[in-house]
Amino acid sequence: MLEIKNLHVKLADEDKPILRGVSLQLPKGEVHAVMGPNGSGKSTLAYVLAGRDGYEVTDGDILWEGQSILDMEPDERAAKGVFLAFQYPMEIPGVGTFTFLRTAVNSVRKKRGLQEFTTPEFMKRIRQTAGRLGVSEEMLKRPLNVGFSGGEKKRMEILQMAMLEPTLCVLDETDSGLDIDAVRVVSEGVNALRAQDRAMLVITHYQRLLNYIVPDKVHVMADGRIARSGGKELALELEKSGYAGFKGKAA
Amino acid sequence: MTVAISRTTAEQTLTRQFEAVAGQLPGDAAIGEARKAAIGTFAALGLPHRRVEEWKYTDLRHAIKEALPPALAGDAGASRQDIDRALEGLAGLDAYRVVFVDGRYCAELSDVAAAAGLRIGALAAALPRSEGLVATVWPGQEAVLALNTAFMTDGALARVADGAKLAKPLLLVFARASKQPSLITTRNIVHVGAGARATLIEAYVTLPEAAAGQTNTLSEVVLGDAAEVVHVKVTLEGDGATHLASWMTRLGAQTSYRAFHLTAATALVRNSLFAIFQGEGSKVDISGAFLGRAAEHIDTTLVVDHAVPGCESRELFKGVLADRARGVFQGKVIVRPDAQKTDGKQMAQVLMLSEDAEFDSKPELEIHADDVVCGHGSTAAEIDADLLFYLRARGIPLGVARAMLIESFVGEALDKIEDEAVRAGLTQIALSRLAGLSA
Repeated sequence: MLEIKNLHVKLADEDKPILRGVSLQLPKGEVHAVMGPNGSGKSTLAYVLAGRDGYEVTDGDILWEGQSILDMEPDERAAKGVFLAFQYPMEIPGVGTFTFLRTAVNSVRKKRGLQEFTTPEFMKRIRQTAGRLGVSEEMLKRPLNVGFSGGEKKRMEILQMAMLEPTLCVLDETDSGLDIDAVRVVSEGVNALRAQDRAMLVITHYQRLLNYIVPDKVHVMADGRIARSGGKELALELEKSGYAGFKGKAA
Repeated sequence: MTVAISRTTAEQTLTRQFEAVAGQLPGDAAIGEARKAAIGTFAALGLPHRRVEEWKYTDLRHAIKEALPPALAGDAGASRQDIDRALEGLAGLDAYRVVFVDGRYCAELSDVAAAAGLRIGALAAALPRSEGLVATVWPGQEAVLALNTAFMTDGALARVADGAKLAKPLLLVFARASKQPSLITTRNIVHVGAGARATLIEAYVTLPEAAAGQTNTLSEVVLGDAAEVVHVKVTLEGDGATHLASWMTRLGAQTSYRAFHLTAATALVRNSLFAIFQGEGSKVDISGAFLGRAAEHIDTTLVVDHAVPGCESRELFKGVLADRARGVFQGKVIVRPDAQKTDGKQMAQVLMLSEDAEFDSKPELEIHADDVVCGHGSTAAEIDADLLFYLRARGIPLGVARAMLIESFVGEALDKIEDEAVRAGLTQIALSRLAGLSA
């Protein structure tokens, strides 16, 4: 279970708080959505979960499977099962996609005490998963994300998620910049990974994505806090009324 | 007003040492005269210092405190295994190998089976016929060239026949073997005939037990019309070594010249490259990677002279600097008044692994024609924190993630080497040096 307890976060070099007491419980086997207007702190929450530099937790804690992850480096968190699908995946010229994936997968397997994959084993596994996500062999040969379209980059994120076998998936605005066909492909990839021993936090501005990835719970974030939580019908309500009410309440 | 020229100890020693060894240097009377004239030129100029524009960032008068005695006899102790070990990733390359030990041709270690279209010999043997001295006008480089003429002991004299396509690269190995620190001075003269194709690799290495020293090397390469030449230099001279290299390349019409420099693990390096287009429609690519650690100082200074219309030049240099290492890149592109339709692009990029590292970059475009496309750029940056986070968020440990990003940075330069075997060899050398840098 993911337990976020009264989390307060600010930028390391600024005093202005971004998260002002976020509390949330996400059990394994469930998918929760975090919705909210721009600037509400959604992406900050995603980055802090993954352990990005530049943020300072001033109060509260994040527990994953009962253990605080705040002092863990990003790669240790990944080995513990935390995976962040980036809103803007990075382009890395000179690092081949295949090499990157194999290095990442074998790094976490090693840390998890599992046997590292040989190259042929890995090739076989990646071909199966890549095919399902519409990631071509040619894309795997190219430098990571370089020259990929928005949809290709997001499919590559989901491919990485599938290969790394995380137990906590955080998807940051996975639908941004995608047309409806791409949203469908990506959502199918995500849904295929829904499992009893896996928790998913889907961060999104729009309700659209939740038509495809149907959440068990929806949390509305405003001004650095969870302003309201409810079932999947809350997303539909927001679609009609917008975030105006939450902004007002939070301010 | 008269200015009294005061010479440093090293400068005085160089002049004195020349007098002591002049009688033992190869060449006939005419060569002897040329050497004498050269040492006179050097005595008047002294070592280049920071007030000489071309040496602003690399002050040899300050850096060379002691002039080492010239190496006169090849060390007999060098073995093929020693050479292979020093060549690292290039040891296995299938090549015509020509080995010079302490500045002298070594037949036992060389391996030039009859190669169709290639004539190769040792410069020392040819000097009595007064070949091989070319009057070179190269502003700023005069003193270093004068020292080369005065002290040169040997080098490769190669001629590739018109139309010949060399089956293997010509690998010139300059190995330092002596346990006494010494000055090694070599010169290579390579003519590649019209329509001929050749790959020329120069490797400067110090053998395992040898003492580091000073090197002064000059390579003159002439490309006949439509010749295609790949010219690679690997410099790994070791801690405490000073390496001064001058390359002068003359290009005929419709030629292709692709040069690459890999420089690492040498205390002080100055690579001066000069390429001049003498015929239309030629293409030049001069690229390289330099990896500096400790207090190493690596200077790449190049001049590309578009003297005729319709030629293309590309330069890409990538440096990785750790500790207190200093990188220097000076790139000058001259476009003469008649050289219309010139296309020149230059880029120098450095990755700084330490706050104490330093990079000085001075791109210069000197354009006298109006219908040209020329550009240059230069960057110095640390490892991108966002990229690093992305890799680490995928479970890749910090050290591995850093190494991947550094390798990919340098890889972009290494990709300029088109020959797979040569690129693999240089990549292997670069990776092993990078491992030492990022540790």
